[in-house]
Amino acid sequence: MDALTAALKVAASGLGAQSERLRVVSENLANAQSTGSSPGADPYRRKTVSFVTELDRATGGSLVEIGSVDRDPSKFPVEFQPGNEAADEKGYVKMPNVNVLVEMADMSEANRSYEANLQVIKQARDLISMTIDLLRGQ
Amino acid sequence: MIGGLGAVHLKPSVGGAGETGLAGSGASAAGDGATTFAEALGQAASKTVGTLQNAESVAIRALSGDADTRQVVDAVMSAQQALQTAVSIRDKIVSAYLEISRMGI
Amino acid sequence: MEPVNLFELAARQSQWLSVRQSAIAGNIANANTPGYVARDVEPFEKVLDRAAVSLSATQAGHLGDAATNAGFAVKQEETTGSILPSGNTVVLENELLKAGEVRRSFELNTAIVKAFHAMMMAAVKS
Repeated sequence: MDALTAALKVAASGLGAQSERLRVVSENLANAQSTGSSPGADPYRRKTVSFVTELDRATGGSLVEIGSVDRDPSKFPVEFQPGNEAADEKGYVKMPNVNVLVEMADMSEANRSYEANLQVIKQARDLISMTIDLLRGQ
Repeated sequence: MIGGLGAVHLKPSVGGAGETGLAGSGASAAGDGATTFAEALGQAASKTVGTLQNAESVAIRALSGDADTRQVVDAVMSAQQALQTAVSIRDKIVSAYLEISRMGI
Repeated sequence: MEPVNLFELAARQSQWLSVRQSAIAGNIANANTPGYVARDVEPFEKVLDRAAVSLSATQAGHLGDAATNAGFAVKQEETTGSILPSGNTVVLENELLKAGEVRRSFELNTAIVKAFHAMMMAAVKS
C-alpha cells in the first residue's frame, strides 16, 4: 500500500475517533440534567474518551482509535431542590458532573479536529488524482 | 536529461558528456556498450521490450489492486517514450533503406 | 557533475512528498492522543545528498520500494512549540501549513513531469 493510501486510512481513523468523541459529548449534553430516580440516588456520571495510537502493521501509519470510554470520577455537585424525587432528607439533589461550557468547548475542538482530518482526506485524494492525470489528455 | 529516455541508452550514462540523445546516438554507440551499430540497435531494442514488459506487469499488478499509483504512471510514461522512440527509429531505418534501394548502381 | 535523470528525480520527490503526507496525516489524526509526539520525514536535501551517486544511474530498482516509507526516515520532530500537559506536541495549524506545502510541491512536480513527457514525445515523433 503506498503512502498516499496509507494517509487516507490514517485520516479515516481520525474521523472515526472524533465522531465517537462527538457522540460522547452529545450524550453528556443530553444528560446534563439527568438526576437519579430515587432519594439519594446517583445522577448521570459524565463520560470521557481517551485516544490511543495504533500502529498499522501493513502500512506503517499511526492510526488513532478511542482506547476506552470512561466515567469522570469527579464529585457530583449538589443543588437544593426539595421537590425532586431524588432529593435526600435535607432536600439536596445530586446533579450530573457535566459542565455545559466544558462540553461545548470540547465539541468545538472535536469539530476542528474532524475538519482537519477531512482536509487530509481531500488532499490525499487530490494528490492521487493528480498522479493519474499525468496519463490523461495525451 | 534527454538522454534518459529509459529505453534508448546506447551509451552507459556514467560517461556523462557523451549523452546527446538520439541525434548523437549513432556516433556514440560505438562505446563500451556495443562494438557495432547493429549491436547497439539490438541493445536498444531489448531495452525497449524490457521497459514495455515492466509497464505491462506493473499495470497488471495495479489492476489486481497491488501497486503504487505513481509507479504505474511512471512505468506507463516510460513505455510510451520508449515505444515512440523505437517507432521513430524504425521509420527512419525503413525510409533510409528505401532511399538506398532507390539509388542507381 | 553527473547528469540527473529528471523523471527519476521527480519520482523520488513524489515518493518523499507522499511519505510526508502520511506523516502529516498521522499527526493530525493523533492531535488529541496523550503522549503523541509529532513526526516528520527527513528533509529532501538530505535524501538527495545520500543518493547523489545512485540517482544518476539508470536503475529503476531502488524506486520500487515495497515498504511504505520507501526508505525515508520518519522521525519525531524536536518540539519548538508548546507541549500540552498530556504530552501531545501536535499543533494543527503547523500541520495544515505543511500539508499546503506538500500540495504545492506535488502540483509542481506533476506539472513538470507532464510537460517534459509531452516535450519528449513531441521531440521523438518523426
